[in-house]
Amino acid sequence: MPPWRGRSKTLHLRYAVRRGCAFDRKRSVSDTRKARSSVPRADAGAPPAVGLAQLFLLFSQLGMSSFGGNVSAWMHRELVQRRHLIGETEFIAALGLCRIMPGATVVNLATVVGRQLRGAAGATAAVLGLLVGPSLLVVAFALVYRRFAEVAAFHLVLEGAASASVGLMIAMGVSIGAHVVRGGRQANRSLAAPAAALAVMAATFVLIGVARFPMVPTVLCLAPVSIGAAYLWPASRRGEASDAGG
Amino acid sequence: MPADEKTLVTLALVFAPLSLVSVGGGPAVIAEMQHQAVIVNQWMTQREFADLFALARVAPGPGTLLATLIGFAVAGWLGALVVSVAFFLPSTLVAYAAASMFNRWRGSAWHAAIAAGLSPIAVGLVFAGAFAILAIDRGDLLPWGLALAVAAVRLWRPAVHPLLLVGVGAMIFTCARLFVA
Repeated sequence: MPPWRGRSKTLHLRYAVRRGCAFDRKRSVSDTRKARSSVPRADAGAPPAVGLAQLFLLFSQLGMSSFGGNVSAWMHRELVQRRHLIGETEFIAALGLCRIMPGATVVNLATVVGRQLRGAAGATAAVLGLLVGPSLLVVAFALVYRRFAEVAAFHLVLEGAASASVGLMIAMGVSIGAHVVRGGRQANRSLAAPAAALAVMAATFVLIGVARFPMVPTVLCLAPVSIGAAYLWPASRRGEASDAGG
Repeated sequence: MPADEKTLVTLALVFAPLSLVSVGGGPAVIAEMQHQAVIVNQWMTQREFADLFALARVAPGPGTLLATLIGFAVAGWLGALVVSVAFFLPSTLVAYAAASMFNRWRGSAWHAAIAAGLSPIAVGLVFAGAFAILAIDRGDLLPWGLALAVAAVRLWRPAVHPLLLVGVGAMIFTCARLFVA
């Protein structure tokens, strides 16, 4: 093994740790070399470790395995928990931003994550991956459905899959919710930040989920309060570092 | 139905503006899609629209693929392509521009505050979405029980593949409906 290989890996590791991003320790040396040779990005947290084809395939897989919807829960599992391509904190903020922008949340999320990892080409690969495969699949589904529409069990299986996938969504909510509350408490000793976060979560859930207030105006009212609270009780400067462990 | 040019242009003209007003995701514009497809352009009956809606929701992939399905139903593969581009491209460009702008402030106190402030809202919206889906049949406890059980297993044993949970869940659901009720 040429001597520079080991060194580059160390540098890469140190860079990743300094930036506080989660780093997949199983990533191979050749990936590291690929990452070094690719275009450097000015504003992203982690070195690009995925190729465009890989990004396309990853998002295709995400789109096509999310039976019953809730692609965002799948993205959270694959991108944050398993592959550590994007930090937990960053993912949650992107999710919030993508929910309130025009367009399907998950398509926006693919745009933002793809852009973060590989720029414009990455965003294109991620969005195409998320849409092309599942589009073909959904049309195939429609054709199959016409055939089996009369079979009662077919509806029940689909309904069951949809209910079960709501469970995945709830699990993601608990997981990212715990991260948001924990991150806030870690930052400063007082309980103000986590208390504010919990209050905003509860208000969002009750107003939009239970009371069925229209989402956009409600979020536009809650967001300034929440952002103001976050400004008053900021997370620690190294807040992102809490991602490295997760 | 053969895909004539006029139909394709109409599809594009209907779905491109919807893309930009779908603030808050797909659910925001489903009512307008229904209005356009069933009443204004009479591409399909209400019943057919409801079927496509149910399909898009349970099939893998984003629920907004309903738009693609409508395109396919109206004008075949070409229709599906035209609608997909018209519906997904404009909002994606907006998201890309917003992400670029947001990233320019990276490192500033405001960037951190906005990211941290949006996070609890995102969490609340995830729960609100789950609740809204489960509340469709308020009196029916089976979807609630199944969803909560799946969530508990997912959190307790994160290594279990979610597809396994969804598959087993769907089977339990089907058996419970067929043999218990």
